[in-house]
Amino acid sequence: MATETTTVTDLAEAAERQRRLELKELLNKKYKWIDWKWDLVFWTTAVFVVAGAADITKQLFAGDWDFWTDWKDPQWWPVVTAFATIIIPSTLQYIQWTAWRFPTGATYTACCLFFAAWVGRYFQWDLAATYPMNFVWPASVVCAGILMDWTLMKTKSFILTSLIGAHVWAIAVWAYNYVPLAAFLQPAHFMDHVVTVADVQGIAYIRSQTPEYLRLIERGALRSFLGETQYVSLAFAGTAAFVGYWIGQFIGRYLAVWPIRRYLKTM
Amino acid sequence: MGKRFVIGSVGALCVILAVVLANPPNAAAHGEAADEPFLKNMTTAFFNVSVSPTEIEVGEPVRVTGSVKILETWPHTLETPEIASIMPVVPGPVFVLKERFVNGTAAIGSFFAQKGGIYEFEMELVGKEPGDWHVHPGIAVYGTGTLIGPGEWVTVKPSDEPFSFPLTLMSGETIELSTYGGAFVWWWSFAGFVLGFIWILYWTTNKRTVTNLAVTVQLPVNDDAPDIGLITPRDHMWMNVIVGVTLVMLVVGWTYATSNAPVRWPQQTDWFTPEFISSGEKMAEARASGATYDEASETLEMKVQVTNVIQSDIALKQLTIAMATFVNGPEAEQAKAGPSDFVGRLEVQPDGPIAPGENKELTLTISSSIFSEERLIPTQAPQQFIGAVLRFENGNDGHEFVTVRSNVVPTQFRSTYLP
Ligand SMILES: [Cu+2]
Repeated sequence: MATETTTVTDLAEAAERQRRLELKELLNKKYKWIDWKWDLVFWTTAVFVVAGAADITKQLFAGDWDFWTDWKDPQWWPVVTAFATIIIPSTLQYIQWTAWRFPTGATYTACCLFFAAWVGRYFQWDLAATYPMNFVWPASVVCAGILMDWTLMKTKSFILTSLIGAHVWAIAVWAYNYVPLAAFLQPAHFMDHVVTVADVQGIAYIRSQTPEYLRLIERGALRSFLGETQYVSLAFAGTAAFVGYWIGQFIGRYLAVWPIRRYLKTM
Repeated sequence: MGKRFVIGSVGALCVILAVVLANPPNAAAHGEAADEPFLKNMTTAFFNVSVSPTEIEVGEPVRVTGSVKILETWPHTLETPEIASIMPVVPGPVFVLKERFVNGTAAIGSFFAQKGGIYEFEMELVGKEPGDWHVHPGIAVYGTGTLIGPGEWVTVKPSDEPFSFPLTLMSGETIELSTYGGAFVWWWSFAGFVLGFIWILYWTTNKRTVTNLAVTVQLPVNDDAPDIGLITPRDHMWMNVIVGVTLVMLVVGWTYATSNAPVRWPQQTDWFTPEFISSGEKMAEARASGATYDEASETLEMKVQVTNVIQSDIALKQLTIAMATFVNGPEAEQAKAGPSDFVGRLEVQPDGPIAPGENKELTLTISSSIFSEERLIPTQAPQQFIGAVLRFENGNDGHEFVTVRSNVVPTQFRSTYLP
């Protein structure tokens, strides 16, 4: 009996080994019409779609926080930015990992977003509306994208990436953009007050339809945890990013990939 | 899809287009004419507004001063005014705002406001972009939006000196705000982009991409298949290198930023309650007893019952509706009342002083194209009312502002087929 079982297991293992060898061959198979040029066209075309999706999602959820330095505060900005910017990277992670086993979705989206955001800010805000770039610069999420893709590559799991990667994302987005923000948080004397450089920009560069009271920033409240708003905010940003990650997965699974499968089946 | 459906749709589209084109909204250059009349005349009154000088060079100042009263007639359909902010209304940051006082207090942000409150403002703008700009004062009210005052054209001519905005930090360093930190933001973000781009290039150039699908569909999603060659140890090694570089960059950047700007504050906020400004010495009681509006001649006629409650003669000198002021006096007095496009003549019948204790019915007549240009008077609205502020004077520099509210009836009722 024992020998028979072993034989069956051996056979199954051999078959699996054989299957994987065949897959290896398939991976390197030469296709007549689908070569690197096809890939290049595909990746380049996707830039605009992905950039658009990522930029619109960011503007929808984190618009003003991303537009102005005087909104980049310790309390709200890390949370809304982490949430808003993780959604489409998560979608692309799902698509590129499941389709090609590339840990590139988040970085790819971040690079596309970098391109879209700077083009938009420069042409629309700086050239057309004359707001200086040092006031309206967009936050960058490329560094966070690299770290989250790396997390997916190491864990090979969307669940673990959502648990670990989302927190990494939240901290990386904040930390990376705090570096250029730091200079704008220096106190200066203006209008009989001591305010930050960012505040001066917000007051001086007139926004007739965005009055100051609409600014959703830390204003100091009982719930500011001994002044440690920043750390509480970052912890919550991780949770918000976790939610955003799964919204992105949902978009990837049911709005992007599932309809394509349905379509392919009909052919 | 039947033929009838297509014809029906095209027909409907034509009708909609005809309706839209036949009723062009009466929009002025600055957009406020698009607002409903009640949103202007029942909410606020701007008076004594001055914008000067009206011709400057880049880098030179323009002062915007005046007063706005949040009216007691504030419409019940809007949230009660509680928080407000005074701001210049201009086409984007073509000026920079350097000073702003509300009732004498420097205002970096918003203030607590209330119905009946009078807010005297003083703003200093500095020309940044050359051009002809229409400059208004405005008051933004939480829950309602920005309500604008009378505007004045300001010509900003180019200057030999480029625009500059020096700002002194608490550290003593003086920075140029127009460009400060801008280059670093760009190169820092760009450096991150380069790392990401290398990451993408590594995968897209070393590997087949689209055709991988044939393999991956046959594997579970958490199988990275190093044996098949999907993700190899070499890939891991290079990705670890990029992540390492990213982390080093973060640490170096952080160290630079925090040593470059060792003192960092959270963004500041200051909401205050402005000092009370009185509407003047008590001298008149006034109540409107009805108004008519003739659209054809753009004439408003309002009846007001006035009682003089002091011991000397008083006279009605001005009437303000929203951003427009009408003066009972000669051209010279009108010119002083505000930007010329928003000033007109007020005719008072019977004119002349009101004696102490006297009760008089005055008929106020105003003919002005401002009514239609700014759409100040409702003619077929759910709230057929206007609010106005009357200015009485007693002859020895005393004055009082009295708010009146009147319903307004058009002199002709137009029959309309479309709504
Ligand atoms: Cu205007």
